[in-house]
Amino acid sequence: MNRVRIKIVGQSGSGLLSVGEIFSSAINGLGYHIVADREYPSLIKGGHSCFTINVSDKPFSSLSDSADVLVAIDKISMQEYLGTLSNGGILIHGQGTAATSITEKAKENGVKIFELDSKEIALASGGSAITQNMVLAGMIWKVLGFEFDKIEKEVETRFKHLKKEILEANIKCVKSGYEGVETVQGIWNINTENADNILIDGSRAVALGAVACGVRAYYAYPMSPSSGILAYLAEIAAKTDMIVKQAEDEITASQMALGSMHMGTRAFVATSGGGYDLMTETVSLAGIMENPLVILIGQRPGPGTGLPTWTSQGDLDLAIYSAHGEFPRIVIGLSDSEDSFRLIGEAFNFSEKFQTPVILLSEKTILESKMSVDKKFFDREVEVERGLIEGPNNEEPKRGDRYKITDSGVSPKWIPGSGNEYYFANGDEHFENGDDTEKADEVKLMYEKRMKKMTAIKAELPAPEIFGVKENADISFIGWGSSKNAMRDAIKIYEEKGVKVNYLHYSFVWPLEENSIKDFFARNKNVNLIEGNYLGQFGNIVESKTGVKFKNRLLKFDGRAFFIEDIIKFIDKNGL
Amino acid sequence: MVYNFAKNFGIKNAPTWCPGCGNFAIQAATKNALVSEGFNPHNTVFVFDVGCSGNGADKIEANTVHGLHGRAISLAAGVAIANPKMKIIASSGDGATFSEGPGHLIHAIRNNYPMVFMLHNNENYGLTTGQASALTPKGAKMNASPDGVYLEPINALQFVLSLNPSFVARTFSSDIPHMTVIFKEAIKHDGFAFVEILQTCPTYNKATPDAWYKERVKKIEDLKDYDPSDIWAARKLAEDMEKDVYLGIFYKDTSRESFLKMIPNRKNTTTSLIEEVKNYDVKQFL
Repeated sequence: MNRVRIKIVGQSGSGLLSVGEIFSSAINGLGYHIVADREYPSLIKGGHSCFTINVSDKPFSSLSDSADVLVAIDKISMQEYLGTLSNGGILIHGQGTAATSITEKAKENGVKIFELDSKEIALASGGSAITQNMVLAGMIWKVLGFEFDKIEKEVETRFKHLKKEILEANIKCVKSGYEGVETVQGIWNINTENADNILIDGSRAVALGAVACGVRAYYAYPMSPSSGILAYLAEIAAKTDMIVKQAEDEITASQMALGSMHMGTRAFVATSGGGYDLMTETVSLAGIMENPLVILIGQRPGPGTGLPTWTSQGDLDLAIYSAHGEFPRIVIGLSDSEDSFRLIGEAFNFSEKFQTPVILLSEKTILESKMSVDKKFFDREVEVERGLIEGPNNEEPKRGDRYKITDSGVSPKWIPGSGNEYYFANGDEHFENGDDTEKADEVKLMYEKRMKKMTAIKAELPAPEIFGVKENADISFIGWGSSKNAMRDAIKIYEEKGVKVNYLHYSFVWPLEENSIKDFFARNKNVNLIEGNYLGQFGNIVESKTGVKFKNRLLKFDGRAFFIEDIIKFIDKNGL
Repeated sequence: MVYNFAKNFGIKNAPTWCPGCGNFAIQAATKNALVSEGFNPHNTVFVFDVGCSGNGADKIEANTVHGLHGRAISLAAGVAIANPKMKIIASSGDGATFSEGPGHLIHAIRNNYPMVFMLHNNENYGLTTGQASALTPKGAKMNASPDGVYLEPINALQFVLSLNPSFVARTFSSDIPHMTVIFKEAIKHDGFAFVEILQTCPTYNKATPDAWYKERVKKIEDLKDYDPSDIWAARKLAEDMEKDVYLGIFYKDTSRESFLKMIPNRKNTTTSLIEEVKNYDVKQFL
């Protein structure tokens, strides 16, 4: 598998994002496979931002930390990111001769330079300082050797809402950039498979997954990196008829979702760790009311405000242990766009069926990374399982049975107002009919009934998945979340070298299915942890629950996702 | 059809309030009002907060939720949005409404969520044994305020009336007929109907006991030419909490649409959210 690695850098607000999106969309249209992510600071204008695009002929899932092609809009960003450009790489910039001091040095490392004065060209083409990004878009397209009409079409589609003169100026800028440089041979060393992919980020994927599984209300308070879900669901609400409500705070968003779910619709909430902190009392209430509730935490590094626009797997303990009291819950870790679409439906099914909260853990890098997904993936019909008793084939609900003690711990639940029976959903301890109780024997029975659901849940959760060889690997990993993406690529890279790498991936991280871990350890001799936090939170749970001991731990907590190089470095040090 | 309220909203469990507590009468008047407006336990949802008002949750027969302290309004908003065919009655005390969750109140008024909201104002935290709330009169000696409360109280109606509400009323827990009339009007209102109930608390509210109120309460209906569509008249009338404490409908604006009617993408929808849960094809968005 070959990949071409491109980084587009500039100040935030300088239009580099548009270049990145136009470029990736055009490349996607040519049938290549793409992973793209953006790094940017928590501000609106200024600071350095970077849009990274990796392209390959074969499906893949993670990014490299280096670049073969660096596209720089300004000098400061060029300087900042030049170190990530490989020897013999290509630097495309629009600074003309103003960047000579930097480019001379780069040339010494064998870097090929393509430069124009993009601002001057933009102005001469009827554009503005901001449309110099379009000059750069044209330059990249030509340097890499693609035909002009493809990028022209892409720009037209993207800016079709603009006035005709402005659109024409943009196109002219692209053309001037395209015509101002030559194609370089040898860099685009991949052939298209003509894949029919959709380029979709985790925010849109999870939002569409919500639509598909019948979520009818979305309540949220803006917080990076979850705000993309709010924006997208609001954007398509005219077509979905969903109620998309920006609430006054996270407490409200979660309470509204609880109320709506109680009444029998599906309501969804997404936030980040700090917002989730405020929702924990609601999660606890859902636990005792035995009310379904699905909340997504888009992880970013904490504590406090932390790094608002960077990524993390640091909120696993939060998801598992948050909220007062003891009650059953399910925690699901998403890994990519496909998971995001698929697992939200499962989250709602489990939450309704077991009448208990489900926490979905996503990550900034999942929510904002664009990944190629085969169009056919979305052809599936999402199963909607509600666990409600209703209709003539079911038993007639009886109000005294709402919290009935059963073998599984799951009691009959029905939509309030749907039949002949109302019921009392009580946040105070109660007995079978919902009325308050403080009697020792009743309290104990009800407590046990709720906690028993944990066993029933465990029996139904899908098993973790092994990537790579099933056993006797040279080096093995266990992990969750976006770690899967770099692991999958590493497995393929080492396979070509004849090295056996495998990876046990947990989507359903809580309650923990323990046998797969014990079995994985029994069949593999060098099992390591991979996790995007400092403590190795999942690793600690795995070790304490199963008694196994990881050989080593690959941990990362600098706000960046695992790059393929992180895995390679670790394997070369610990595996061979 | 005339409902027998004892049959329809029941009296489930033995009351757990102090003798003389205003909650007995509030719940009786609530049942009266609902029954005479044609509601029954099947099409009514009660959302209770925590505290003495919240302990009404298992005394009444209906669809009932007993939620968290300060959050009844938000939970009830979610209920209202999911199933607008239900009549929603949310209740909270003065502690919940003006200390733990005033943000929810502000935005519920602004969003005009369709529900009756009953502020049980007994001017203290009863269930935690009589601490001061933000509505306790200055100078009152309370649990944890041994030298007397040194802050001025918030005027609940002044606060609410400053937020462009659609329905604001006040009633008194020792006057069941008045409460019934006011609750009936609130039940009929399509939008956020805010009702302050001056609630006697014989155990902990020594500053303004039942007799104190009885000497001061006056009826708005006795005021000549009072116009409940005049917000400034309402704000003026709500100022006095010491001498003439008025009861009745202070303000009503029926021109404001309730929440669900304001949402642009739901204007042509006839179903409710609870009827719409199914698998949807998302290919049009790809």
